[in-house]
Amino acid sequence: MPLPLYYYLSITAVNILMSWALYLPYRVGHLHFITVANMAISGYTAGFLVLNLHVPFGWALLCGFLLGGLIGFVVSLFIGDAPTFAVVIVGFTFIFISRTIIENLSIIGGTMGMFGLPNIGGSPSAHRWIVLAILYAFVLAAGFLIYRFDHSCLGRAASAVFVDPDLAASLGVNRKKLGMLVQTVSCTIAGGCGVLYGFIYKSFHLDFFTFALVGIFMTVIFVGGYTTQWGTVVAAPILYGVPLLLPPVVQSWRIVLYGAALILVLVLKPEGFMTPRFVRSVETFLSGSRRRRNTSLKEVS
Amino acid sequence: MKRVLSALFLAAFATALGFGQAKVVATEWQIPFLNCLTGAIANIGEYLEWGAERAAFEINQAGGIAGKPVKVVGVDTALDPQKGSVEMARLVKDSLVALGPVPEPVIMAAMPIAVENGMMSITATTSLEYAQKFFPWTVSWFPPTEERLGMLVAAWGKQFPDMKNIVQFVEPYGPWPGMADAHAKGLEGAGKRMLPKVEVPTDAVTFGPLAVKALNQKPDGIVFVCNAEKVGKLIKELKNRGWKRMDHLLVFSSADAPELYATGGADVNGVEIYNYIDPNLNTPRWNAFKDAYAKDHAGNLPPSLSTNYYDAVYMVKQAIEATGVTGDPAKLMDERKKIADYLANVKSFHGIMFNWDMKDGIPTNKPTFIFKIQDAKKIMVLEVKP
Repeated sequence: MPLPLYYYLSITAVNILMSWALYLPYRVGHLHFITVANMAISGYTAGFLVLNLHVPFGWALLCGFLLGGLIGFVVSLFIGDAPTFAVVIVGFTFIFISRTIIENLSIIGGTMGMFGLPNIGGSPSAHRWIVLAILYAFVLAAGFLIYRFDHSCLGRAASAVFVDPDLAASLGVNRKKLGMLVQTVSCTIAGGCGVLYGFIYKSFHLDFFTFALVGIFMTVIFVGGYTTQWGTVVAAPILYGVPLLLPPVVQSWRIVLYGAALILVLVLKPEGFMTPRFVRSVETFLSGSRRRRNTSLKEVS
Repeated sequence: MKRVLSALFLAAFATALGFGQAKVVATEWQIPFLNCLTGAIANIGEYLEWGAERAAFEINQAGGIAGKPVKVVGVDTALDPQKGSVEMARLVKDSLVALGPVPEPVIMAAMPIAVENGMMSITATTSLEYAQKFFPWTVSWFPPTEERLGMLVAAWGKQFPDMKNIVQFVEPYGPWPGMADAHAKGLEGAGKRMLPKVEVPTDAVTFGPLAVKALNQKPDGIVFVCNAEKVGKLIKELKNRGWKRMDHLLVFSSADAPELYATGGADVNGVEIYNYIDPNLNTPRWNAFKDAYAKDHAGNLPPSLSTNYYDAVYMVKQAIEATGVTGDPAKLMDERKKIADYLANVKSFHGIMFNWDMKDGIPTNKPTFIFKIQDAKKIMVLEVKP
C-alpha cells in the first residue's frame, strides 16, 4: 500500500472515531472534550506498557480502552447530567491536568515525548496492515453501536434530552444515567484511539493532543452534521483530504477555509450537511424502496 | 455506471494526493523542506525557509550542484503531526534527501517514516536528544546538551564571583527542561548554588507573579529557559521590581529570536545571551547573507536559526559532489545511504559562521558564544570552545 495512503486512511479513521466520541455525548447536549485528554492518558499508558514492561500490543490496547472508559465513567458520576458549559469546563480542565502530569513524568518521556514504539507484527508493512485493520474494524464496530443507539429508545431519549432536558425528565428519561452511558462509551472510544494514534506515528508527544484536535473534531461534526453519525463519516475524509490536494499557496489558507466553512454551515445550514432527513432520503434511494412505497401509496389512494 | 464513475473519481483523488507514481525530475536537484510555513510559529518557518532558499540561490549562481541547479521546495506541515506525517510519506517515495521537519511534534510523527524508508532528513533546529533517536537518517546540528551547556553556562557564571545563588525560569517544552538541568549541573560545578526553578507555564499570560516567585528566593543571577516573548516579559517584570544587575541575567539560545528584542525593548539591554552563531562576524559570505536578509526583511538582522538550513543545503551539496551521487532514481536507496554516511562524518565543513566536523552525526567542535545585548544588537563577551 502506498505510504501516503496509509497515513491518510489511518488518520482519517482516528478522526472519524474521535469525532464520534464527541458526537455521542453531544446527543444529550454535552461537548465532552475530556476525550482528548483520554487519548493522551490511554496512549501514554499503553506506550509505557509496551516499551517499558514489554506488554503485548493487544493487551496494551485493551488497557487503553479500559482506562479511557474508567476515567469517563468516574467523571460521569459527577457530570452525567451537568449543563453543557460545566462539561466543557471539565473537559478543558482535564486536558490541562493530563498535560501537566505527563510533562512531569520523566518515566514516560516528560516534555521530550516517547520515542521508538515498536512495529506491531514485526515489520513496518505488517504494522501498517494491522493498524489499519484494527482501526477500520473499530470504525465498523463503533459505527454499528452508534447506529443501533441512534435507532433505539435510548437514542430517542437522547434526542429528547438534547431538545429539552426538563421535558425529557418529565417523560421519565433518566438524564444522569443516559449522560453517564454516552460519556463512558465516548471516553472508551477515545482511549482506544489514543493508543492507535501513537502507534500510527510510533511515538507520543504532548503536542499530539492539543486543542487543535478539539478544533478538528468540532469542525468535522458541525460541518458534517451533528444530528446524525453519517455527517462525521463524510466530513472527516474530506476535511482532512481536500487540504492535501490544494496547491501550497491555497493550503496556507486552510485554517481560514475551515473557519469559513464552519461559519457558513452554522449560518446557512445549522444542522450541517448531513441531516436525518437527508440520510433517510439516501437510505430510501439506495434501498430502492421509494418506488415500492410510491406504488403502495397509489394502491392506498 | 455509477460505480465506474466512483472508481474514476477515487483514482483521480488518489493520484492527486500523490498516491500514484510521481514524476521524477532529473534535470535539477529538488530538496524538499518540511517546514512550518503556517501556524503559530510561521514566522520562524519563514526565515528557516529563507536561509535554505538563499543557499540554493547562491549555489545556482555558482553553477549548481554537480552542474545541475538545485531547488528547495517548501512543504508546509503547519505545525500539525497529521499533515507532517502524510507529507513525509509522500517525500520518501522518491526524494534523495530532505530538510526538516520543524518542530519537535512533527519531527516525532514524521521522522520514523524517513528512518523506515532510509532517507536522510536533516533536522537542523532540534537538539541532539531528539535527533539522535533517528540516527543515522538525520544528523544533529547541536552537540550534547549536558556536556556543552554545562561548560558554557559555567563560563558565564565564572565572570561574576559575587553571583552565588541562581534561579532558572523553565518552560516545560520539548528539550528545554533538559537544557535547564544541564545549566544547573554546569553552574553547580562552578561553585554556584541553584535555587528551586520557577516553572513558566506554556500558556502563561501574566508574568508578575512568576517574577515575584523568583525574587522571593533572593537570587543573584537568573537563567531564562523559555520562549523569547516570555523572556522579554519576565525581564520587564524583574526590572519593574527593582532588578539592576542586568548582566547577571542569562538568556538561553532558543530565546534568541526577534520576539525577545521586540518585547523586551530597551529593558533587555545589558542582559547576556548565549548562542551558536556570532552575528558580528565580518566575512564577505556572512555580510552578503546579512545584507540579503535585511533587504528582504525590512532591514532586520538575521535571527540566530536563519543560518541552520542555509548550511544544511550546502552540506547536501558537498555530500552529493563528494560521493558522486547522480540522482538516478534506479539508485535511490544506495545514493540515500551514501549521503547519510557522508553527512554523519563530514569533516571541515565550511559553514557560514565557522568550519566544523561531524562524528557519527554529532558536531564535535562547534564554538558557542556569550553576548551582551545592547539596543537589539549582540556584543561578544566570551567564546567558549569545546
